This record gives sequence, C-alpha cells and structure tokens, in this order.
Amino acid sequence: MRFIKPKSFFSVGRLVAFCFLLFTSISCVKSGRETIKIDGSSTVTPILDKLIEVYKIQNQDVNITLNSSGSGTGINLVGEGTIQIGMSSRDIEQAELDRFKNVKFVTYPIGKDAVIAVVSSEIYDAGVKALTREQIQDIYLGKIKNWKELGGPDKSILVIDKEKSRGTRHVFMEYILGNKDAEAPGAKLVLGSNNEEQTAIAQSDVAIGMISLNWLNKDVKGLGLIIGDKTIEPNRENILNGTYPIARELFLVTNGQAEGNTKKFIDFILSDEGQKVVNDLGYVSIKN
Amino acid sequence: MKKFSVGYVSVLTAKWIATLILLSIILVLFIYSGESIHQIGFGFLSETWNPGNGQFGMLSMLYGSMAVTTIALVIALPFSIFGAIYIAEYSPVKYRLFLKSAMELLAGIPSIVYGLIGVAVLAPLTGDLFGLTTGRTIATAGIILALMVIPTILTLCEDAFSQIPKSYRENGFALGLTRYEVLKNILLPIAKPNVMAAILLGFGRAIGETMAVMLVIGGIDKLPQPIYQLFTPGQTLTSKLGREVGETAFNSLHFSALITLGLILLLIVLTFTLVSKYISSKKFRSA
Repeated sequence: MRFIKPKSFFSVGRLVAFCFLLFTSISCVKSGRETIKIDGSSTVTPILDKLIEVYKIQNQDVNITLNSSGSGTGINLVGEGTIQIGMSSRDIEQAELDRFKNVKFVTYPIGKDAVIAVVSSEIYDAGVKALTREQIQDIYLGKIKNWKELGGPDKSILVIDKEKSRGTRHVFMEYILGNKDAEAPGAKLVLGSNNEEQTAIAQSDVAIGMISLNWLNKDVKGLGLIIGDKTIEPNRENILNGTYPIARELFLVTNGQAEGNTKKFIDFILSDEGQKVVNDLGYVSIKN
Repeated sequence: MKKFSVGYVSVLTAKWIATLILLSIILVLFIYSGESIHQIGFGFLSETWNPGNGQFGMLSMLYGSMAVTTIALVIALPFSIFGAIYIAEYSPVKYRLFLKSAMELLAGIPSIVYGLIGVAVLAPLTGDLFGLTTGRTIATAGIILALMVIPTILTLCEDAFSQIPKSYRENGFALGLTRYEVLKNILLPIAKPNVMAAILLGFGRAIGETMAVMLVIGGIDKLPQPIYQLFTPGQTLTSKLGREVGETAFNSLHFSALITLGLILLLIVLTFTLVSKYISSKKFRSA
C-alpha cells in the first residue's frame, strides 16, 4: 500500500501555494482602488447589480461591492458608517432616525415599484379579473373563503401571505389592512421572496398573493383594483401617473450628501442612461 | 496508553477543542438570547409571532419541530433497521456492496436537493392525493425528512451488524440455532448500542434540518386545527430561523428572540442525547 500516503495531503508544496493565494487575494483588495460598498433591500439589488455592470464598463478604476441583506440592515450599516450606499424599499423609520441622531440621512429615489394582488391564471381565466380593496381585505381576514363568493369557481381560496419583515408586505398590507404589521388570519401559507411566491402561485390553481410588478407571468396574473366605479389595471401607465395606489419608491440612502466616487455613481444612476437600465429591468423610472 | 505519545496528545487536543467549541456556542447563544428571555419571558409560550407588535410566541414552531421529527422517525425507522438487517445478514454478497454504496451516496446528497424535489414533486403530489388546497404541509415535511434520514440511519445500522465478527454467527449455527435465532439472540443484543446511536444521529439530522423543511412546510406560525391534523401548513424552529434571521437587524429584540429559538433547539438535542446515553449506559450495567 505504498501509494496511500495520508501525509501528502498536507504537503509543504500545498501549504506554500495556499499562502501565496491568500496573500495575493489580500493584496488585491488593498490595492489603492477606492471601494464603494452597497448593501440593503433585496428588491433593489437586481437594479443595482445591472447598473454596476454598465457603470464598470466606463469606470474600471472603481471597485463596487454589492450585498443584499434587506432594507433594515442597509440603513443600519449606513448609519454606522460601514458602507457608503444603502438600498431601501421603504421610508426610513422614526426608530432608525432616533437611533442615529448624529447622522444626516440623504435619500435618492431611483425608481418606482408596484405591489400587485395576483391570482393563479386558472382563477383569472374563470372571470375574477378585478377586486375591490374590501374584497381583498375580507380574503386576508378569512371572511371570504371560496372563490364562488367572488364570481369564480367553487373552490376554496389558497391565501398566501408574506413574512412580516418583507418590504413588499409592508406596502401591500398598509393599503389593504391599513397597517403594515397587521395579522392576516385568513392566510394559509407564509412565504418569503417574490421568487418563492411566484412558484407557489403558479403551482396552485386557487391561489391569491402579492408580488412585485415585474414578477407577473402567464401563470401569475395581476388583478385590477376596483375603486368606486373604475377598474384600475396594474400596468405601467397607471403606476407612472400614480393612479395605481399600491406603489412604493425605491431609494438609495447615504450618510450626508454623497461625495467623490459615490456621487459620480449616484449621478450615473439618475442620468438618462442609468434610468434606462431601471426601465429595462421592468421597474418604473423616475424620469417619466 | 503511553502518557505523552503523539496519539495521546492529539486526542487530548481534539477533545478540548471540541469541548471549547460547544461551550462557546452555548455561551454566545446565552448572551444574545438574554435580552429577549428577560423581556419576553413567558410570552414565548403563546401562539402569535408578530415582531412588529412585540409578540414572540413559539408554540407553533415547537410543535412543528416535534411533529416533523416524529413523522420522519416513525416512517424511517422500520425501513432503515430492517433494511440494514437485510443488507448485512440476508442479501447475497454481490448485491451487498452495491446496496451499501447506493445508500451512502444518498446520504451525501445536499439537503437543498431534497428540498427542491419536495417543492417540485412531493408537495403537488400530496396536495392532489389528499385533495388539499396546498401540498405544503407538516406531513410533507415529515416525509421529505424521512427520505433524508433513512440513508443515514441505514448505513450506520448496517455497520453495526456487519462489524460483528463472523465467528459469533458460526458458533450460533454450530449450536443448531436458525438464522432468525442467531439474529435475535446473538446479533441484535450486540448491535443494539450502535443502532441506538444511529437513531440518535437520525434524530439530530431530522430536527436540525433547515433548507428542505423550510421549502415544503408552508411557513405559517399556527398550530393545526385540530391539533392532530398534520396535513396543514406549519412552521418549525429551524424554518423560522432560516426565513427570518437574514431580514433582522443585529442586536434588536427580534434578533435576540430568534437566537432564543436556536438555544431551545440546541437544548432539545442536548437533552435527548444525554437521556439516551443515560438509558443505554444503565441497561449495560444491569445486563
């Protein structure tokens, strides 16, 4: 058994190679380039990801790191001065302003996103194409349990809620139940990301849920909102002119006015070129 | 054993490092959970979890963890113990290697893969089969977990039987015992402590599993109505942690409450391990 030598795994050669890799990677990070650190909302992350990609084509000397830890974490890290730019899909809350009294938060709106009540395509095709706020409220409160009561097929409703910390839920529940932390006793499932929600609604044929505008597809249909005698379709025009009511602005947050490279990057995002990226990704640009 | 041989020193070092790691995990969990235990206290023993209103009830999660683990073990134990006995004692030698390595391969599949199979296949199947509005239920999570722990328990049990020297069996046969009698009276008593250890490891894997459970259990913090209706969505300690820890600000009460969930999970596993060690050591002394 000469060929089995367990010692060889930790050979000197490997050790040297490992140390070499370690040192080169450390020195790469420290090589004089200015780094812009970005962290925050997972709704805003895909936009920034694409924007950084485009920005880096022209500005190769800038190092930008992007993390996706949620709006709350992003704002906290900006307050602590660990990162330069925070991403947020909601306004900064009073508690956060109180916590960082010495920090002057500056917010830059970079686009708009709508949260839409969605149903499985089978329900949409069966004729439930728009609901009133009160009807959706009753579904989430557990008062309406069958699609029959809303003109759909005789099947019980699979009500899908979101985790309470999600920005998407805050905006949706603020409008439907009047409070972002409101309990939804009618809910049968509680899911997290837009991605997970989309899968669950597509798999089911009796589901209702809430989702970001650009996550609609052929299995996941957006419901219109009946307000008074008008039906407001969830399309880009209505979100742009503000008639569709469940919309939110997406922000970047900095500690004081942005300066230097950070300012250059934010200016790029707000420019026509940057806003075109926002539009192309299915969010609504602030330029319109 | 020689006192300062290389082997002795390295075993000693390994032992102390392992002890230190365990102690520091418990210490960190205690430090971070302190705030929430102090502020919430018995509030943990309610059903409502709503961080926005300062409500942190964990009953549904405790129930979910227990239910899911019980279902998994009830399904997995007969399959894995009888399977192990078959592979070790009855199957022809040429199949044995194949079966064993297939099981070891299954034990090595990452849990996220089981989770995806659960979401894509098992959950819709359960939903259709039982006519439910959603197939993401406590029972579905239990079944997925059973599939995951069977290979673990089975391979370890098989080791427990196959490591018994051949002479024990030969002696049994020479005394005129049948194959079944050899198994029941000679092999089972010898293999028992190792089988117990295998079950314990399966239990640990089942109660600690996060990804696969999180994807199929439905994520709702409610006790089933009625309580034994396992074909309803639920939540476990691990799925709650997996879902919420990333969205929580460090040092908040919410974060601290989540750490408390982790602490309780650890205490459950520790208690279970200690109790089963105690029981098996007691049996040995009396035997």
